[in-house]
This record gives sequence, C-alpha cells and structure tokens, in this order.
Amino acid sequence: MTRSGYLLLVVLVGLLGVVFYYPLAVVLRGAFAVDGRWTLSGLAQVISDPYYLHLIRFTILQAVYSTLLSLAIGFPGAYVLSRYNFPGKRTLRSLTVVPFVLPAIVVALGFILFFGNNGYLNRALVDLFHLSGPPFRILYSLPGIVLAHAFYNAPIVMRVVSAAWEGLDPAIDEAAMSLGTGPIRRLVTITLPRLAPAILSASALVFVFTFLSFPIVLTLGGARYATIEVGIYTLVRTLLDYHLGAALILVEMMISLSFTYLYLRVEGSLAVATAGLKGQERVPLFAGPVRLGRALIAIYGILAGVFFIGPIAAIIADSLRAADAWTVSNYLQLVSSRYSPFLGTSPIATVRTSLIIGALATVVSLPAGTLIAFFVSRTRAIGRWAIEALLMAPLAVSSVAIGFAMLRGLAAGPLRIGGTLAAIVVAHAVLIYPFVVRVIRPVLEGLDPHLVEAARSLGSSRWRAFIDVELPLIKRGLLVATVFAFALSMGEMSATLILMRPGLSTIPVAVYGLLSARQFGAASAMAVVLIAVTAISFVAIDRLSKEGENV
Amino acid sequence: MKRRIWVLILVIAALASAIAPLVVAREKLVVYTYDSFVSWGPAAALKDAFESAYDCDVEYVTAGGGKATLSRLLAERDAGTSDADLFMAEINDVPRIATYDLFMPLTVEDVPNLAYVPNDLTADSMGGFVPYEYGYITLTYDSQALDEQALPQTLSDLADSRFAGKLVCEDPRTSSTGFSFLLWTIARFGEDGYLDFWRSIDKSLLVITQGWSEGWSLLTHGEAPLLVSFSTDTAYEALDGDDLRYRAFAPGGEGYRTVYGVGVVNGTTHADLATAFINVLLSTEIQELIPTTEVMFPANENASVPAAYADYAIIPDHPLSLSLDLVGAKMDTWLHDWETVITNR
Repeated sequence: MTRSGYLLLVVLVGLLGVVFYYPLAVVLRGAFAVDGRWTLSGLAQVISDPYYLHLIRFTILQAVYSTLLSLAIGFPGAYVLSRYNFPGKRTLRSLTVVPFVLPAIVVALGFILFFGNNGYLNRALVDLFHLSGPPFRILYSLPGIVLAHAFYNAPIVMRVVSAAWEGLDPAIDEAAMSLGTGPIRRLVTITLPRLAPAILSASALVFVFTFLSFPIVLTLGGARYATIEVGIYTLVRTLLDYHLGAALILVEMMISLSFTYLYLRVEGSLAVATAGLKGQERVPLFAGPVRLGRALIAIYGILAGVFFIGPIAAIIADSLRAADAWTVSNYLQLVSSRYSPFLGTSPIATVRTSLIIGALATVVSLPAGTLIAFFVSRTRAIGRWAIEALLMAPLAVSSVAIGFAMLRGLAAGPLRIGGTLAAIVVAHAVLIYPFVVRVIRPVLEGLDPHLVEAARSLGSSRWRAFIDVELPLIKRGLLVATVFAFALSMGEMSATLILMRPGLSTIPVAVYGLLSARQFGAASAMAVVLIAVTAISFVAIDRLSKEGENV
Repeated sequence: MKRRIWVLILVIAALASAIAPLVVAREKLVVYTYDSFVSWGPAAALKDAFESAYDCDVEYVTAGGGKATLSRLLAERDAGTSDADLFMAEINDVPRIATYDLFMPLTVEDVPNLAYVPNDLTADSMGGFVPYEYGYITLTYDSQALDEQALPQTLSDLADSRFAGKLVCEDPRTSSTGFSFLLWTIARFGEDGYLDFWRSIDKSLLVITQGWSEGWSLLTHGEAPLLVSFSTDTAYEALDGDDLRYRAFAPGGEGYRTVYGVGVVNGTTHADLATAFINVLLSTEIQELIPTTEVMFPANENASVPAAYADYAIIPDHPLSLSLDLVGAKMDTWLHDWETVITNR
C-alpha cells in the first residue's frame, strides 16, 4: 500500500476509535471495576453461574443449527443463480435481500401469521386433509427460532456464494470435464475448494448474526429459550447492574471475536486465486430437456418460494385487513394527520429519513470497508488476523451492547452527538463497514496478483493499478456489499432508537412505535412500506450498476 | 458525472436537515417519558395545554420503555449532560428510585391538584414521584376460543392440562406487564411458592413474549386464547367500537396494581415550570383523557371516566401489590431465580 493509503487507514481507525472503541471501552471497564476498585468477581460469577452457562451453551447451539440451515437453503440458491439464466433473474436476485432488512419484530409477526399454529399454512393443511389440529407445530421452540434465522440469513449465503461462483474461472472445470470427471466429483474436488473462502465468509457472518440475535429468539422462542443477549439486556436495562452486564458483554465478545479470529486464520489459509477474466458460462433454465437436475431445481424453487414469500405475503395480507374485512384503511391511517403522534413525524418524512441515512451510511462505509479489506488482504504483517478480528468488532458486538455503549459514550459522554441525523449515520456506518470488509476481502484475495504486478511493471502507480485493474474485478463484490450495507442501515433499529430524538424517525422505529401503540394493522402497513422501499432500492442499485449483465 | 452530482446533493440535503433543528426560541421543558405515553397517551393534548398556558416549549424524550429511559437519564446524569426536567414511568420499572436521589420532594403546596389523589396511591415511599394514573394487570381471554364457564377460577387453575399451550405471558425482564405478573405470583404464592407455580404452568405456557404488544398480537391472531394483560381491555374494545371478543377477567377476583408516576428531576433549572407541568397533568381536564388514551384509571378522583369504564373496566375485588421497598431490595434475586427455573426444563 502507498503512504497515502496508510494515512487514510490511520484516519479511519482513529475515527472508529472515537465513535466505537472509546464508548465500548467505557462500558467494558465496568467489567473490572466496582465502586472504583478493580475486581474479577463479575467475570467469575458469569462463568460459574449455571444460568449464564446455560445461556452460553444454548446461544452457541442455536447459532450452529441456524448457520447449517441457512447454508442448506442458501447454497442451492447460489448454484441456480450462478449457473442458470431465466427471465426475471436479476429482479429475483435483488429481491432475495428483502428478508434481511425486515425488523425482527416484523419477521416474527410474519412467521406467526404464516407458520403459526393458527397460521395460513396450518389452516390450509387442516382444510385440505381434514385434520383435527394444526399438523405443523414448529413455532415457540428451537426449530421455530432456527427457521426464522434461516429466513434472515440464507439470502446472505445466496448472494455472497453466488458472487464468488460467478467469478470462478471455468477453464479448470472444463479441463476436468474433458478428462471425463463426473459432475459430482467436479463439484467436490474443484468447485467447492475454490468456493470455500466465500462459503466460510458467509457462514461466519451468519454465525455471528445468529449468535447475537435478540428479538427473534425472544419472540419465536420466548423466555424459555433465552440467549446471552437476553442476559445482557436484563442486566444493563432492567437491573442496571453495569458490572455484571459488562462482564457478560465481555464474555460474549470474546466468544464471537475468537470465533472470528479462528475463521480468519482458516480462510487465510484457504485463499486461492480464482477469478479469471472470463466469467462462468450460464445455461438457460427453461430450455433443454427436463432431467433430474431441473426437476430438483423446480422442487427447490417451490419450497424456497413458499418459505420466503409466505411470511412476507402474510404481512401484506395483514396490512390489508381490519375488523375481519379487506380494506386499505391501515394505509389511510398511516397518512392521516391523526396518526402522526405515533411516529412523531409524518410517514413520508420517516421514509425520507430512512433513505437519506441509508444512502449516507452506505456512501461512508463502502470506501472505508473496501480500503480496510484492501489493507488486510494485502498486508503480511504479523498478527494481521488479530488486527482484522479487532476491525470486525462492531459486527461481533451485540446490538444491545452497542446501544448501551453509544448511550454511555456518545449520547451521554463528552462527545454527546446523540439526537442528530449525523450521529445516526455515523453509528450505522460503524455497524455496516465490517460487513463490507467481509464481502470484499474474499473477492480481493481471489484476484491473481500477477494482474497488478503486470500493471505496475508497465509503469502505472499503485493507486492507478487499484482503480484500473482491481476495482473492475471486484465490482460484483462491491455491488453485493452496497446492497447489504444499504439493507443493514434500512433495517437497523437498536442503535437508532438510542440516538434518535422525537421528530426524527426511521421506518423500523416507526413500525416498532406503531406496534407498541396497538396499531397492528398500521404497523403491518408500515412494514410493507419498508419492504416496498427496500425492494425498489435494490432493483435500482442493480440497474444502476453498469454492465449489470455480469453482476 | 451526473451520479456524482446527485450524491453531492444528497450529502448537502442531509447535512442541512441535521443542522436545521439547532435554531432555538423560547424556554424549553424537557420531559423524559416512555414511548407509549408519547405515541398514544395524552402527550399531545398535555403539550398544547401547557405551552399555551405557560408560553414555553415542551419536548418529550423517550428511549423506549420506562426502564430504558431511566438508564438513559442516569447515564446522562453521570456524565453531567442531562437536560431532563421531568421523568415519567411505571413505578415498578424504577423500584430503586429512592436510591438514585433523582427527584425533588413535592408537597400539596407545590402541586395543588395532588389534594385530589387518594392516599393509598401516594402512600408508598415514592419520594417525589407523583402518581397520575393507575390500573390492574389481570388476564384477558378470547371469547371465541374459550367459554366463560371454562375460565380459570384462580391462578393455580392455569396449571390444569386443559390450558396446555393456551397461555401467553410477557417476560418480566423486558416488559413492565410481565414484571407485574411476576410480582403478582410472588404476592399470591409467597417467596417460597412462586417458583413452584411457574414450574407448574410450564406446559400451559405457549410462549413468554418480549413485550405486551407481541403477546396481544398472538392473542388477536388466534395463537393462544389467554394473555396476561390489562383489566381495562374490555373497556378499550368497547371504546373502540369493537365486538368485545377479547375480554379481561380477574381470576379469583385478583389483579396486580400498576401505578404510573412523574417527578421533577433534581438539578433542573426549570423547577417552577416543571412543578406546574405536574399540576396540569393532574388537572381534571387532562386526567379525563387518561381512560381513552392511556387506557388507565385517572389518579385524580374528581376526573370522570367514560360510560364504557363503568360498564366494562374491571376493578379486582382483591387487588395485590408489594411494597416498592421490598421490590427494590429483592428484584435481582427474584428475577434471577425465575430465569434459572424457566430456562431449566
């Protein structure tokens, strides 16, 4: 990296220090201090109390199950998206990210409406087969939690893996084929090893997200299936026991960070140059003979369709119902001035605020994340995995802890930037950039270093080589990162709730406000607004990117 | 090039909207409160009434529920950056309020309307925290799924197998309603017996939700016919013109009392205005809005309640409540024992 590159990096890390590490340090110091004295009693209590041990065990267990199911659902999707062409594919691909932005409280509602004991699916099955009771009792237990986590996270697997898959140089595969290697053997021995970094990257993200999941677990599992997050929430928000709360935050962080570190080591050792100049060839899905492969894809398509569309359709249906009749009154309520107190502002302003924050947070986090990804993928410094793990920290720290840290260190601390739009943008950017790093890094690692060396030997500067050679080659990754960055910002709620002031509201905060005000129909309508706004934005981002055909 | 200009315009627009609120005018009274008071309580009417009478601005600040707002207030106070003049919450959200030394003491001389608040509401050691409304946590049932004759006659009946998977309650750690229910079981079965009760209803509980809203959503979407909720639910349905499908009832004539209060924050620079604000909140004019907006009983006994309340709002024959001092001293132990039992299945 050039000197100006390092300078930029130092500025970035300094900024991070002010808005993230400083507030976090303020909180974590509490783990070791009681009334000004230093102690380890909090940590000792957390790792010896049977309840907290139970929380830790259960949190890891459900995160492992959720990651496996997300992979199982997302991987075939990635295969279809990267190997086949079909009408509406680009739009479909844009829409796969929609579940990801939905506030947990809305997903939980969608799941209850669709998969619930009295939900659409069970009622349809009861009517169809004349059953006496609901056959599909899956919610309010571990399977319900895992299923909802897969709904959220399978799209990550799909997008991240398919982006890498499309970048694979088909020459190796073709060579093996010409030597008579069968398709399954080729998948296992050639394709999977080359996809390993992307699969690992996606799994790590899913694991961390589900490890830190809070409202989904509470709503679909209930208190009996509590995770570490619930423990932290109870300590810092209900009991105001900052000492024990900080100790639990520290334990949670250590687990997620050491997992992150471990996977970075593994990923680093797996990285192989994969990207060729020639993209993967794609086959039209609806042409050609119907064989086993296409039949399986059809079955997968139907199941995935029901799984992803069901809960969202249920929310849309719910938004169009009031007093047991079909109506648009929920939407009319949303725009009528009578309901403005629920939002503290008008619905239009709420949508605008969300879009502005989302766009700005993306604009800030995308170059920052790319630069950091560039740094960690190019440096050979000792301890670079530790550095990267630390740079990933905002992703590995729970939303409850971040909200609490921002409250102690930003809203209330000497900086005191709470309440402004700028504060929310900064908070979002900090929460988002590690995601950008995660998506971009494997793509950068996969680049053939000779390409840059060739450009350099022909006299271009390092910067020039980055702009002209590397940037075009990582465009797919950048697009995925942009979409998810925007999505993360649109769906973010916990930090926003802490930093906002009345009159400044985002869509998820408005959904939450309407729900707690018993306006369930209007809340569903607002959730539909969120779905619509993000869906349109994703399609627009995909269209705006030049050479979209390859993306 | 065009796209860059758009990005630039977006950035400028965002910066402008971030700076715009910095323009200030009159004296400002900052009220820290819980979200539902702002979203559907009498907040707007109260603000209008007070601003026109006292020529100042009222700003509501909320960080979510009462507990969340309290932790924000305490964090800001510790950092010396709080501009809160008043704080409002459910008292059980803040049982250790006395230990924080948060409020200015208030008397009837400061707040004349306090004279109309009955003694049993103010008797608790609330130290400057003035009650302005109250209600009861009871059970609510779906009359299309459960017969009135089949309702549980006492809390203990909930353990019966005919209620398997039929009860929804709220998490006492995240929800005020859930915490009141936990206190109810402690008041009913004693510190030695409440955990046995919770073990006995394990099969009856469909789910313990994060908050009351999620619970209500499960009830109204037919997932479970019994919910821990408010004794005014039937009255709310009646006021809303609904068909009274969801009805509150007090098993064994019991219910747990919930009281909401407001206090003047120590160190405020607007003590007189803040005290006057409490007096307006306790005036019959604002108090008569409480039943229809907060769906609670007004603390001022001169305030009249709508006819639906006389017909449908339940006042339990045997209301239960524990002293705030006891709750403050024991809540950590109670909650931790509860969470250990509930997750250990």
